[in-house]
Amino acid sequence: IVVALFDKNVQNNEEHNLAVESTIGNSSYQHSKINQWMSGIVESSLSQLTKLGKPFKYIVTCIILQKNGAGLHTASSCFWDNSTDGSCTVRWENKTIYCIVSVFGLAI
Amino acid sequence: FFGSDLEKFITSLNTYRMGPEPGCHFNASRTQQILQATLDRYLEGVCYSPDSCSQLCQMLADLVLSKLKDVNPPRYKLVCQVVVGQSGKQGISVASRSLMNPNTDNYTSAVFQNHSLFAVALVHGMYFE
Repeated sequence: IVVALFDKNVQNNEEHNLAVESTIGNSSYQHSKINQWMSGIVESSLSQLTKLGKPFKYIVTCIILQKNGAGLHTASSCFWDNSTDGSCTVRWENKTIYCIVSVFGLAI
Repeated sequence: FFGSDLEKFITSLNTYRMGPEPGCHFNASRTQQILQATLDRYLEGVCYSPDSCSQLCQMLADLVLSKLKDVNPPRYKLVCQVVVGQSGKQGISVASRSLMNPNTDNYTSAVFQNHSLFAVALVHGMYFE
């Protein structure tokens, strides 16, 4: 059984940054557009990951938060194989929005 | 070797198993009940505070994982994510999408809210061949 390592390199981060940037760009928070943005970000991230063609299952999570002075914490814990699986998180913000995208890659 | 692409060859014993045994699938409803019960029990009456909530969040994630490991069927990997935030007048949206095998893999989520904070817990179960 051949297993490839999940490589958390800079390229991965940049790809996700691009995905978020291209979908939201300079827009300010609009409740009506949220669903569209979320689907766009998550789908483009996932499609870029599949283009890498590695034998992994992916989980992409996106959190969009309006900047209003409130606090937010996220934590994740995983039950997996440390040598083959990994995760990567990208934070992006503009004047009115915070966006956090996490990607988990599990080897099959 | 640091920073270069590494291809690791891992050999393991062949069990000739193609999928999870019948009845040994990731049980979404039971996981959801466990998640909801854990969130309700640990966040009842808790007030948001910036310094303690980061630890609370991590503790919740570890706690949920340990509870799920007991009921987890064999050959399943778990990914658990917890989001805790202050209940202000802001909008927040959490979305998740995954590339998985719908026959064997599944996910569950639970939400808790009180007057000062909200919490969202998300668990994915993935079959490992």
